[in-house]
Amino acid sequence: MSRLSRRRFLGTTLGVAAAAVGGSDVVGCRSSGGGSRVLRISNWPLYIDDRTIPDFQRATGITVQYHEDINDNNEFFAKIAEPLRRGQSIDRDVIVLTDWVAGRMIRLGYATPLDLQAFPNRANLSALAQNADFDPGRRYTVPWLFGMVGLGYNPRVTGREITSVRDLFDPAFKGRVTMVTEMRDTLGLVMLGEGRDPARCTAADIQVAAARVKQARESGQVRAFTGNDYTEDLANGNIAVAIAWSGDIQGLHADNPDLVWVAPREGAILFSDNMLSPKSSDRLSLAMAWIDWCYAPAHSAQIVSRAGYISAVQGAIPELERIAPSLAQSPLVNPPASLLAQLRTFRSLSDEEDASFTRVFLDAIGG
Amino acid sequence: MASGARGGALAPALLVLPGVTWLVAFFVLPLLTLARTSFGAPWWGGYARAVTGFGAVFARSFGFAALATVIALVLAYPLAYVLAFRAGRWRGVLLGLVILPFFTTFLVRTFAWKTIMNDDGLVVRALQAVHLLPPGGRLLDTAWAVVGGLTYNFLPFMILPIYASLEKVDRRLVEAAQDLFSGPARAFRLVVLPLSLPGVLAGSLLTFIPAAGDFVNAELLGGPNQRMIGSVIQGQFLQVRDYPLAAALSFGLMALIAVGVVVAARLLREEQLA
Repeated sequence: MSRLSRRRFLGTTLGVAAAAVGGSDVVGCRSSGGGSRVLRISNWPLYIDDRTIPDFQRATGITVQYHEDINDNNEFFAKIAEPLRRGQSIDRDVIVLTDWVAGRMIRLGYATPLDLQAFPNRANLSALAQNADFDPGRRYTVPWLFGMVGLGYNPRVTGREITSVRDLFDPAFKGRVTMVTEMRDTLGLVMLGEGRDPARCTAADIQVAAARVKQARESGQVRAFTGNDYTEDLANGNIAVAIAWSGDIQGLHADNPDLVWVAPREGAILFSDNMLSPKSSDRLSLAMAWIDWCYAPAHSAQIVSRAGYISAVQGAIPELERIAPSLAQSPLVNPPASLLAQLRTFRSLSDEEDASFTRVFLDAIGG
Repeated sequence: MASGARGGALAPALLVLPGVTWLVAFFVLPLLTLARTSFGAPWWGGYARAVTGFGAVFARSFGFAALATVIALVLAYPLAYVLAFRAGRWRGVLLGLVILPFFTTFLVRTFAWKTIMNDDGLVVRALQAVHLLPPGGRLLDTAWAVVGGLTYNFLPFMILPIYASLEKVDRRLVEAAQDLFSGPARAFRLVVLPLSLPGVLAGSLLTFIPAAGDFVNAELLGGPNQRMIGSVIQGQFLQVRDYPLAAALSFGLMALIAVGVVVAARLLREEQLA
């Protein structure tokens, strides 16, 4: 059976379109359970194993309504921002958002501080997760998982090793390159290739990276800007090189052992997806019970065994060695120090910067 | 009786009330909200950016939609003609087949096209074999794929109105033309075709208007150089959250389409008078 990861989903477009066609809408739906022992979670698709929730329900007596309804940070935020601004409920008690949107939620006052009294397993927070520039001291959020943005390729298709971000622009791969629609991931990685640092980037750095992307798009070098849907084309050889999320390639390995995920020599991007409780929730104690549960090393290992990303819990790897020994050796789940040293995190942006950078990026990708 | 008379006068108003209420609640009010959203600071700012920054995308959207409409017309007219005049007892079955794909959602059907036009699928290989595509060429992520998807998805909207207007053509008029020594081609050109023009216009509008604003086909079947205005509006609403610009773009699309409809209707009326 192929293991899938959350990024390996149909992607942005289908998400919106499905919402438009009438999928279950976060804002629109009233919770059917309604009881106060019901915990409502939103997470990305294919980002959890199938034992964690039943185990949690059995151990705590809390009923979990788990919605895999986050497909895109911007779109999910656009859906919940308006009700939260008006003080209306979004019917969710825990949501999982990528670092920069989590930061925006905190700035806008839409996140409830974590109740540390009810979170003894916080002691297990790994060194990587101790701090975050968008949430100093981790008062509002803790990571669900970490992931890396680098390059995915199939050596049999490229005919050579891929080592550099600049390989994305090799004319030999014209029309057989994809990049992702997540601005920080694409511009961050391209920026690294230009010798600039996404952890300290300026508007000028964004312009340089965006110009590079735009030129590659206009010349036909880049075939598509995708959500998770690049995985299919990468697996069947339509695409030679892709900007790729580490867990996607980990997930594809079961069926396509040839595929390689590589951190380019110029560096790769580290991101985190973070649990937080939105201010509209009146069930913080249930949310904390869940968060604490996920921070037990054995439980985190269980989640990673399916999701294929990096745990933020100290002690999860030894637990993973017991249940999935080969996965525990994978650098994509258990990155060695040399790989960690290559990772950069895109810095937090102000709302004005975010809007103007996004505009530049959309222009570059033809949106 | 006075009350009876008054009731009689009220009846038409009562009859249109549900429809008008519906339109006001779900069309006029949202439209006014959108109009208010489009007035940023300064009030014309969104419109200025819409005009200066997105001309090429508008042109591409209308170009794709126009091409899809023409292709759909070429495909639909003969089919509708056969349905109306030649299908006999098969008419019901054939009409059913036209509508059948609608039982599956738009989205799933468009995804199916992704599979059909896959780089190493049958269609691409066949086109390469007959040298319509160069070796290593592809269909997905090209303008052809987008136009093809638009044509396919809106084809029934073209077929049904043309069929409806052809079906109403009085056969005796064709017989009269033949009595007056018209050959089949001449009878078609002078009698059937003009009588079916309202259907052609209705079908063209029903195809062109949604096609111009569509974003699913361009997103799924097109590449980054084939984005249509629908994708841009979606991006501005949900990614950039520049609501004034997104609303202004929506109004721009609406205005251009409205002008197009008026012009088309004028042309048709002159055509019929001539």
